[in-house]
This record gives sequence, C-alpha cells and structure tokens, in this order.
Amino acid sequence: MSTVTGTVGSALAAIVGAPRVQEGETAPASFALDGARPRWVVRPETLLHVSQVLGLAWDAGLAVVPWGSGRDQELGAPPARVDIVLDLGGLDQVLEYNPDDLTVTVQAGVTAAALAARLGARRQFLPLDPPGAEARTLGGMAATNASGPLRLRYGTLRDLLLGVRFVQADGVTTWGGARVVKSVSGYDVPKLMVGALGSLGVLGELTLRLHPLPDAEQTWLAPCRDVATAQELVLRLLDSTLQPSRVELLNAPALAVCGAPGSAAAIAVSIGTAEAAVKAQGEALGGLARAVGSAAARPAEGFWARYAAALAPAESVRLGVATLASKVAETVGEIERAVAASLSGAAPTIGGSAPLGSLRVSLPPAEPASVKAIVERLRAAVAPAGGSVTVQRAPRGVRLALDPWGPVEPSAFALMRALKEEFDARRVLNPGRFVGGL
Amino acid sequence: MPLSPGLVGDLQRILGPEGLVLSHEGRLVYECDMHTFYKGAPDAVALPSTTAEVVAIVRLCREVLVPIVPRGSGTGLIGGAMAPSGGVMVGLNRMNRILEVDLPNRCATVQPGLINLSLTKAVEARGWFFAPDPSSQMVSSIGGNVSTNAGGPHCLKYGITSNHVLGLELVTGRGELVTLGGKVADHPGYDLTGVAVGSEGTFGLVTAITVRLVHVAQAVKTILASFADLEDASEAVSAIIAAGIVPAALEMLDELMIRAINEGTGAGYPKDAAAVLLIELDGPAAEVEAQGERAARICWERGALEVRVAQDAAERALLWKGRKEAAGAVGRLAPTYLLQDAVVPRSKLPAIMRELGAIGARHGVQIANVFHAGDGNLHPLILYDDRNPDELERAKAANEELLHACIAMGGTVTGEHGVGLDKAKNLPLQYGDADLNFMYRLRGVFDPQRLMNPKKLLPAHPACGEGWRPPRPRLPEGAWI
Repeated sequence: MSTVTGTVGSALAAIVGAPRVQEGETAPASFALDGARPRWVVRPETLLHVSQVLGLAWDAGLAVVPWGSGRDQELGAPPARVDIVLDLGGLDQVLEYNPDDLTVTVQAGVTAAALAARLGARRQFLPLDPPGAEARTLGGMAATNASGPLRLRYGTLRDLLLGVRFVQADGVTTWGGARVVKSVSGYDVPKLMVGALGSLGVLGELTLRLHPLPDAEQTWLAPCRDVATAQELVLRLLDSTLQPSRVELLNAPALAVCGAPGSAAAIAVSIGTAEAAVKAQGEALGGLARAVGSAAARPAEGFWARYAAALAPAESVRLGVATLASKVAETVGEIERAVAASLSGAAPTIGGSAPLGSLRVSLPPAEPASVKAIVERLRAAVAPAGGSVTVQRAPRGVRLALDPWGPVEPSAFALMRALKEEFDARRVLNPGRFVGGL
Repeated sequence: MPLSPGLVGDLQRILGPEGLVLSHEGRLVYECDMHTFYKGAPDAVALPSTTAEVVAIVRLCREVLVPIVPRGSGTGLIGGAMAPSGGVMVGLNRMNRILEVDLPNRCATVQPGLINLSLTKAVEARGWFFAPDPSSQMVSSIGGNVSTNAGGPHCLKYGITSNHVLGLELVTGRGELVTLGGKVADHPGYDLTGVAVGSEGTFGLVTAITVRLVHVAQAVKTILASFADLEDASEAVSAIIAAGIVPAALEMLDELMIRAINEGTGAGYPKDAAAVLLIELDGPAAEVEAQGERAARICWERGALEVRVAQDAAERALLWKGRKEAAGAVGRLAPTYLLQDAVVPRSKLPAIMRELGAIGARHGVQIANVFHAGDGNLHPLILYDDRNPDELERAKAANEELLHACIAMGGTVTGEHGVGLDKAKNLPLQYGDADLNFMYRLRGVFDPQRLMNPKKLLPAHPACGEGWRPPRPRLPEGAWI
C-alpha cells in the first residue's frame, strides 16, 4: 500500500510540482470531506495540469473530487471513494472580459467577489447570488447550479453559462457551447454540465453572460397575516405588469433572523431599473399589498445580506424544497408541521423564490432518523405536484441515512446512468455523490 | 431503399389508412424544408395522433433499423425536416392540442404540432404570451421550435426557446418514452431537458412540451432610427447596450435591404439611409419612457438622419412591416438567395460588415443584410440567380468565406436556425475533434443505433465515428505509475 501511495504521490508531483501536492496527513483540515482527509490534495496551476492529473487518475482508477471553495461539499451523498481532492483555487484568472459584448471568460476557480470587482467598474454584473456567493468559485456554483433570489429575473447558471471548457474523466480537455450570447451550433453541452456536480467532467473555464447593473434599485418588505396571504400577494404580483428582480417569501423565523420579527410571513421584493420606474412600480406594489391587507415598507439597509445569512446558518441541516408557485403556502405549512412533529416543536427557517416554488429550509442540528422522517414526509407531500426535496447540507450521518437527492423519474434516470457510464465508466469523478449513487 | 411490406403493414395497422402516406406524389411534399437545396423524400410519412402511436412507430422502425425523421411545419431553414437516407418521416402536425394552461404557475403544456402563435393567441386575452417569436411563428410548430432551439427578434431580452422550456416528453431513439423536467422549476439530476432542446430530432421525438409563459408588458415603444453610415448605426447599438438598456428587440437593416424593402413593401424607410435600426423597448411604462428617451438621444448623438417613435400600435406595426417582410422583399433584387445565420460578438459588428462587403465584392455577389444587431446574430442574404450555375457557385463560396470570417472573430455558425444538413459540415470550424467526439457520444446515449434524423447536426468526420477517441493527455516524465 505504501509503495502505491508513494508512486502516485511522486507522479502527481511530476505533473504539478512537489509543492502543489500534499499527502493526506499533512493536507490542511479544510480539505477534509465529511471529516476524513483525502489521500492527496493537488493544486493545479493550469488546465493542462487538471487534464494530466485526471489522465493519471483514470489509468490508476483513483477517485477525484473537484474542489472550489469547498462550501458545498456536504451536498449530495457521501462519496463512495476519495483519493484526490483537486483544489481548483489556483485557476483564478479572468481570461477575457468583453464589456461591449456583455460576456466574460473566467477560470473555474475565480470567486464571485473577484469577478464582481472586475465588472463593477463598467457597471455590469453576473446576477448570481446564492448564500455566501462572494467567497464561492464560479466553477463550484456551476457544478452545483447554485442560485439565489435574483434567479427570478435573470435565471440560473443554466441561463448564464454560454460556453464551458471541461476535462473529461479520462483527461481529455473538451469545449462545449460558444463565446457569444447566442448560439445553437451543436448540442447545448453547457446545460449538461450545470448542476452535474462535476460527475461528467471537471469544469475548467466558463464563458458567462453578463447584465448591466440597474440604474436604481429598491427593496420592500410586505408583512402578511399568514403564509396563504403572502402567496396570494405573490400570485397577484405575477399577474401584473410589474417586473421585479426578486420576490422571496419568508416565514416567521426567517423574518426574525432578518431583523423584521412580528408577522407570520412576508414577501420581500426588489425592483431594479430606471429611477422613475422603480418609484412607479413601488407605488403599484404598495397597492397590491394593501389589497391583501398588507403594506409594503422599506426594510433596514442590508436586507439581502441578512436574508442570505438567515437561509444558510453554519451548523444547520438545509433542505431544498421544489414545488409549484400555487402550492407554496400549503408546502410551507407542511414543512412547519413536519419539523414540529419530528423535532419536538422546533420551527424551521423557510425562505425562497415564491414565484418559482423554490424553497430553502434550515433546521436545527438533528438526529439522522428525525431528518429522514421529515424529508420522507415532505417528499410524499410535494410528489403529486412533481416536486422534490433535496438535502443541500447535512452531516454525513444524515446523508447516509437517506437519499439526499430523492427519487428521479425512472425513465430519465436510465438516461442519466447511461450518460455517466458513457463518460466516466471507471467512476473517477465524484463517485457515488450524485443522484442515484452516480 | 423501400420499406419492407412487413413494416408498412405494421405501420398501417397502427396509424390507419389516413395515417400513412406512401404515394410518390404524397411523399414528395415532404422532401425538403424551406432550405430547398437539400432534398430527400422519405419512404413513408407517418402521421400519428397520439404519443402511443409515436412510441409504436419508433419501436417498429428500430427493429428493422429504418431511419426516423421528425417534421413539424417544415418551415426550418437548415435541411432538417427532410430524409437524406430515406426511412419513415413522422409528421407531428396532428398532435396540435394545448394540453394545459396553468397561469398561476406561469406555464402551459402543449403537443409538438401546435403552431407557435396559437399558444400566444390562447392566453393573450388574459395578459400572457409565449416569448420565442421566430419570424415563422404564424406557421412554425412549437415542436419544431424546440427541435432547433429557435430564436427570434425578441430573444435579445427574453431568451431563446431553451430558456422557456420547463419539461419534455420524449420518445428516445432507444424507443423509450421519457419524462424530462416538468412544471416545477427544479429537478434533481442532469438537465436532460436543457440538452434535448436544440437536438434537432437526433435524440428522439418530442411528444409534449411544458413551456414558461410570460406576462405581457405594461408598455411598448418602438423607435426607428436611420443612419447615413452603417458604422454609426453599429456604434449606436453598442452605446445603447453600454447604457444598460436591454431592448426587447434591436434589429438592423443595411442599404441594399432598405432599398428592397422600400420598393417591395412601401414601409417608407428613409431613401438615403445606409442603415436602419429598429429598437423596441417593453416593460413598465416609466421604464420604457425613460429608456426610450435615452435610446433616441444616443441615436441622435451617433449622427442619426432621423429618429421616429411609433405613437400607437398601428404605427408600431408599420415600422415593423418592412423588417418582417424583408426576406420576401429581396425577391425584387434577385431570384433567390442563400440565408446565413452566423453570430459575431456584438462589438465586432462594424468589422464584420466591412468584411461582408469585401467578400461580396471578391465573389461578385450582392449581399443584403437584415439582422439581430443586439446579439450580433447576422442574417446576410447572399443574392444569386439560380439560372446561372456560376453565380450559385460564387454565392456558395462567399457563404463559406463569411462563415470563416465570423468564426475568426470568435463567433458561431448558427445563432437560431440550427445546424441540420446544411451546417453540419461547418461544425469543425468551431469545434475541435474532442468536442465533436463528446457530442457524438452524447447523441449515442439517447440513440445508440443512430437512427434518429441521421446526417443532421453532426458532421461526417473521423471524430464522429464509432470507437474513435481523442488523444489522451501526455503525462510528463516521472508521472507514470
């Protein structure tokens, strides 16, 4: 065993240079996965390094975990095997920024904050705001399809990723998509890579669509007497000519954490456009709120940062609940009841994009069996609408006790399994972590 | 190769006497799409009415390895809905129902044969519309839009078809009926819906589509600005985008096209203009007002000869009239034309327009331009007389050179029409061997026998051959274990 270890270690060192390879025991604890250190942490300096490391891993049958900021490494099932953690933080160059075309090409290790600093000078931005985005890498956010409230107006990385350079499991560097904002030339390979958790390829470079920063932006909070009223307000808002950037629903605990306690639920809305139009739409929003017995008021400065933090407390168990916009109130109620029943009266923090039916739930730390009971109950509740419940973050014990992704429609899963088999037959890339144990 | 009597008999049993076209003249109707260069009649045309019939057709054809070609309205521009290898064409026009409209959840589920505009007509009274608006939207089917991932003038703001497809029901080349995505926005697993949109029937046949509906805007403003110089117009486009304005549409016409339209349609564009910009803004009234003023000011600053703002719906329709009839109007200039769909980065518009002029001059052909300037999607019409074989050859040569020029500027060979038979050979301009090979293998996952719409989308190329693999990375010395 030790000779094999020695050989792989020196092979990795020959590729990236000895200082860029750390053996498991000496690697920083921050690279531990579910508490266990990988055998090697490798920090490539170039995409060629990534390609060569994967070439080696493929030949040697080693399991590779691509690593961006590491923030979402507790997403999905615990890995079946971990040999190499591929620390992509060294691929941190903005390769080409074309402000006149509203496109940018970055290496996968660039963080959202670093990119924002570069784009802000031209009053442009990448409208991607999952909790903790600033420190997260663009490659990591693409692999996990991370998104936040701005998704309502701008879509997710599915809509923003124009082209992608990735390394296949056997080390072959591959490009998909285009560098321009519009292309239907060939299959839409970037779509396949978004949210695939690096299980079909390690993302190396991303070409992204950018947007102009709005001239002006304001946020309103409309407290409601109950969640049903909040949903009613959302549905009225959607059936109006208002064009909000964000429409999030918060339950009482979420409001309390955001510094706006005192009501059972609320809708947080932001509108960004020309100054006069922000004002006019704000007035229209006020009218809609009054019609359901609410009132739209300006929350204290920094609301969206508090909101992001409220939805992703450090030690919590976090769930993603996907349902229909028309069933959001019903689903929030069911979540609250399920959590109270399994966690002796505890109240979950719930927020999410009500128009998209995309809810984020955080629970206090709990026993695996309790989380399992909650998740199974919720899956049964959202199944008729075609919804899903995924575990976004939980300790290993929880993720072992249940399927973090939940069931996938069998005919679609057969294709997913065939895809994995075609492109990673040796199970090199993040084995065991994606849906159905892929 | 004619179909075996056994297969014909089985298909007739499933589809009934009215559901299978076998006659020579009947099949000829289906020999091409709107790109009439490419002809290939199928051996039979199946006209199913139900998903179960589609599944049965695919399974029967698979058993005897007969190619299957999907077809909607046949309005594609790429040599897509035609049968170069013969086989069974599946015409989906009979499956044209709206299965569900769900406005609270902003979506609808439709069958593939539904005409694009019919969906908007069904929901517009309630204030909603289906955003993808290819110029063919009065006749093209939503299934066809999904197959080619169609765009349209308003996709600058609203995105192309794939941005609006939530879910698909697909009969794969494996003969399996698969449900991908759905009304709910998030689904665990690979985004197979996303990758199936634009697969041009090579993954299988789509039998139902769930699409996002969009609420109509409070206000619309259409501005027409004319310029004496095409570069000024191009700079105005860049300046509008740089000002943070995202128009719903931003279209440009060049001098030759303006002339053809003025003679053909009476749209009344300024005669001495070298370029016309059509700018449409929509959204909340105050936003449209503010941005409209700003856009008009930018046009004046860039030397516009004239800036007209439509005051009502009738005037708006008049400003659009010329643009919408552009392709027909060029009939006045030449009997026929090659239509391109390449894209360049928007900032390269002035450069590519200069290059286009040079290419036309070099090959002795006229090139008229009408395009989606906001996203750099060109639609040059290379004019020629099909009675003169030499002219056709020159037009083709100009066409190829133009594609090369767009790729050299960082562009793509097709922005919204699709690849089909027409541009399959051009994909290697844009993709390397490893990239093509990945796409080839991806297609094989959905259609292992490669019977679905053969010869489309992917080129005849070594990297698109069974068993071919790109070279693996070379490891440095000492990295061998």
